[in-house]
Formats: sequence, C-alpha cells, structure tokens
Amino acid sequence: MSTETQNDGDDLEERVSNFLRRNFPQIQMHGGSAAIQDIDRESGEVTIALGGACSGCGISPMTIQAIKSRMVKEIPEIEKVNAHTGMDGGMGGESGGGGMEPSFPGETVDDDGAADEGPEAPF
Amino acid sequence: MADFDPEKFEDKYANYFPELQQAYKNAFNRMNDQYDSELVHAIDQQVLNESEPFYDGNGEFTIELPDNPYGRLSGIVVEQDRFEELLEIHVGEIETELERIFEFQ
Repeated sequence: MSTETQNDGDDLEERVSNFLRRNFPQIQMHGGSAAIQDIDRESGEVTIALGGACSGCGISPMTIQAIKSRMVKEIPEIEKVNAHTGMDGGMGGESGGGGMEPSFPGETVDDDGAADEGPEAPF
Repeated sequence: MADFDPEKFEDKYANYFPELQQAYKNAFNRMNDQYDSELVHAIDQQVLNESEPFYDGNGEFTIELPDNPYGRLSGIVVEQDRFEELLEIHVGEIETELERIFEFQ
C-alpha cells in the first residue's frame, strides 16, 4: 500500500504530524500543542503528547481518544497510539520534535500539572 | 444542534467529534465549578482520556471507563470512595450532556 517505507522514519513522522495538523486543527486553535514524542517503526507504535492549554482542558480526553481511533485507521503503519497530556506523566507535553508548534494566545497553564481550566473552546 | 444517526455514531470520532468534545467540555466545566478542581482535573486527564461513549438506544448514552480507574490516578491523594463518587457524577454529567447535545432531552 505505502510506497515510501524505506526511509528511516522521517516520512512516517511527517505523515503523523500532517495527520494531526489536518484532522485536529482545533488543538492549535485552542492554544494547545501536539508533539510526537516517539515513533517505533518496528511495532508501529507512536506516542503523542498534548501540551499547552490541552494539559488542563476538558476536551483533551475526547481529543486523545479521537487521535487514537482515527490515526490507526488512516495511517496503515501505525498499530498503536499512546497519547497523553502533561498531567499523566510528561510535563508540558512539548518535548520531542516534529509535532505541531504551539500557538499560545495568552493562556497560562501551571507548570506543576495542576493547571487551571483551559480556555473556552470557541465552538 | 446535531442530527443524530446511530449508525454514524459507530464512527463517532470522525462524524461527531465536535459534539463529543463539547459534551466532555461542558461536563468538565460544570464539575470544575462545583467540586474539587484538582480532583476533577485528575479524573478528566487520567481517567476520562481512556473513556469511550456509546449509544445505547432510546436516546441514552453510556461512558465506558478504563479498568481500575482509581489505580490510574497519580499526583493526587484522595480516598477511593470520594474518587468513585466524583467519577460517577462526572460520567453522569457527560451522559447528560450527550443527550442534550443530540437533542434527546
């Protein structure tokens, strides 16, 4: 199916990044970020960290579930998606590279993980 | 607000993602206003991030939770009874919001 599986992972990382940007623009729109922390091409496992406003935002659980559900369907090489916010492990969620850069319109989030409520989602 | 089609709900994250987000967000806001904010955030980020809503028919939804929700908590100390009580209320709020958003109420 795929025609570009011989690279060292950059192509897959780019497609994961594009998938997030294309399907979940609201992450950035709401002041959050999604960073690819790790991609294991052998197992097809990818780890995504949501950060910025996502760390304390009430819609992030559903965003995480949607990413998990849709990515394995739309990117054949991906078998499993681990996605989390800064509150259940990593802090801030902006480590790693290749993900979407945060665009943070003035919202503040506590560094200790006990973030205040995220921004109101402009639905 | 949204036409609801049970068959489309089977691919809910593609077809009804904004509505699902809104339901979770509304429930979170209400819980955050009324209860211990730290615990509400922990439930939201550490338990509900592995939850999944299902449509049961007759305008009712249920939220499936991950195994051992209490064991998923980290960075917060709370009695299990208190946690389970708040989690149950939170799940009920999400189910209510889903029913409202899909105009079953």
